[in-house]
Amino acid sequence: MHRRVVITSIGVISSLGFTLEKIFNNLKDENTSFEGSFFDSELFVSPINSFDVKNFAGHFKDRRYLNRGAQFCVASAMEAVKKAGLDKQLLAKAGLFLGAGPNLDIGGEFPDVKAGEIDRKNLMALWMLKFLPNTAASVIAKLTGIHGENQTLTTACSASLQAIGEAFRKIRDGYIDLAFAGGGDSRLSKSSILAYKKAHALCNGTGKPEKAIRPFDRSRYGFVPGEGGAFFLLEDLQHAKKRGAVIYGEICGYGASIDGYSMTAPEPCGIWAESAVNSALREAGLASSDIDVVSSHGTGTLLNDTMEADLIDRVYGEKPPFIIALKSWIGHIAAACGAVELAICFTCLKYNYLPKIRNLDEPCHAGLNFVREEQSYPIRNILLENFGFGGQNSALIVRKYNRLR
Amino acid sequence: MDILEEITEILTEILDIENHIITPETYLIRELEAESIDLLELAVAINSRFNIDVNDDEIFLRKLRDYITEAELQNKDILQYLAENLSFLSRKRLEEIIEDRKGGPTLKVKDLISYIGNRSRLSVYGSRFFIELCKPKAF
Repeated sequence: MHRRVVITSIGVISSLGFTLEKIFNNLKDENTSFEGSFFDSELFVSPINSFDVKNFAGHFKDRRYLNRGAQFCVASAMEAVKKAGLDKQLLAKAGLFLGAGPNLDIGGEFPDVKAGEIDRKNLMALWMLKFLPNTAASVIAKLTGIHGENQTLTTACSASLQAIGEAFRKIRDGYIDLAFAGGGDSRLSKSSILAYKKAHALCNGTGKPEKAIRPFDRSRYGFVPGEGGAFFLLEDLQHAKKRGAVIYGEICGYGASIDGYSMTAPEPCGIWAESAVNSALREAGLASSDIDVVSSHGTGTLLNDTMEADLIDRVYGEKPPFIIALKSWIGHIAAACGAVELAICFTCLKYNYLPKIRNLDEPCHAGLNFVREEQSYPIRNILLENFGFGGQNSALIVRKYNRLR
Repeated sequence: MDILEEITEILTEILDIENHIITPETYLIRELEAESIDLLELAVAINSRFNIDVNDDEIFLRKLRDYITEAELQNKDILQYLAENLSFLSRKRLEEIIEDRKGGPTLKVKDLISYIGNRSRLSVYGSRFFIELCKPKAF
């Protein structure tokens, strides 16, 4: 018999706020942070300008080795640990699973590189730590005393959802009783933006920044990069009950796959993305008709949204679930998009609320139940989808906690 | 800015310790809890700010225990042996170190200052700091 896995702490740092309540209020008031980037007003970003990792983790010397994405990772993990209320022994047993991205801020890290010569007198002895993907995990463990099983996943934009999925399975199958899982990322530096602009993945133009990202709209033209992080404490239900933990919801299914098709574009028929979605449904023991809400990857790029809309149409057929697209609120947080979107999904579960897909004026696909206006709805099951560069696919199902199940 | 002020700024930055009062008598490892990677970064920063080639083993007194053991094995006078090998430290400071060594790593901020002063004196580029160093100091 598989164990049930529940979420008992949430730490989130998003442009919509740092608590579920704040996120809910900002969704209601449509307070987003979209703006022109600091170096080019025609390239849009969704930053968290007030962020300072010191406000979450205090002073610690290893801060010097954290790139901005890793800072979001550490800060949101510290929040989740703080809110979890675990003692030292439980923390030592806890696993740590995170999704991390590469540090693309090449120009910021090496401002004076010429002819491939990166050495300079003030280059840190261990500058490489700002580029190694497991630095955030190492810092989190050092600051919190987590010593259990650890993985850092680097599967592009699917990474943090997969980290949560991996932690879920480890607990469900009895390898560990509890684990922190999530991720943090930021790709708003000049070098990162240049990279995505060169790849023709970004919105750019002279319009209003808050109107730029338009998932599933006919006139969509790319994504807007965002930043942030979120961590969750996943726990065996009996373990959580025994210590009287607050239960935010339950994770009940996970699936992942890889396209093996293109370095950047999704496989256009979404065959392998669909297989990830189907494995999540199978693991959860749910029929597609049990899903009330799909939290789509919805990047606002031409290719992703066409593939994803077709996929949703195929999987759910006659009884289409509500489709939300949270990147229209917070931008695309790359490796951490799944974690932050999951935190917003918990906001939706808590408040029985469905936020509209912003800027969706003319849906690209008829017959699908895109949420066009905010609404109250007693949500039971949400399926989250994330698809990343390199053909990384993942799906995770969360449901409202029901103690009688 | 004198050497102590520069070192204070570097240590504050590397160890992320705001408002910690650093004096020449502050212990780096015992008090500020500097670890080996912090010392690595410190060497890079001193190298860069003072424009001197830093030998990590020398400046951080890494071979102190070895020197003492060597002197004992060869029946040499410890103070004399240390003075030969750590020539940038004064006799008075070496006496202090020998006395103090049982209490843990003896490295103090003033040892860095002595090293930097000594290297600057040897280096043409370091003349700026040599002049600073020639100002009378309390230690």
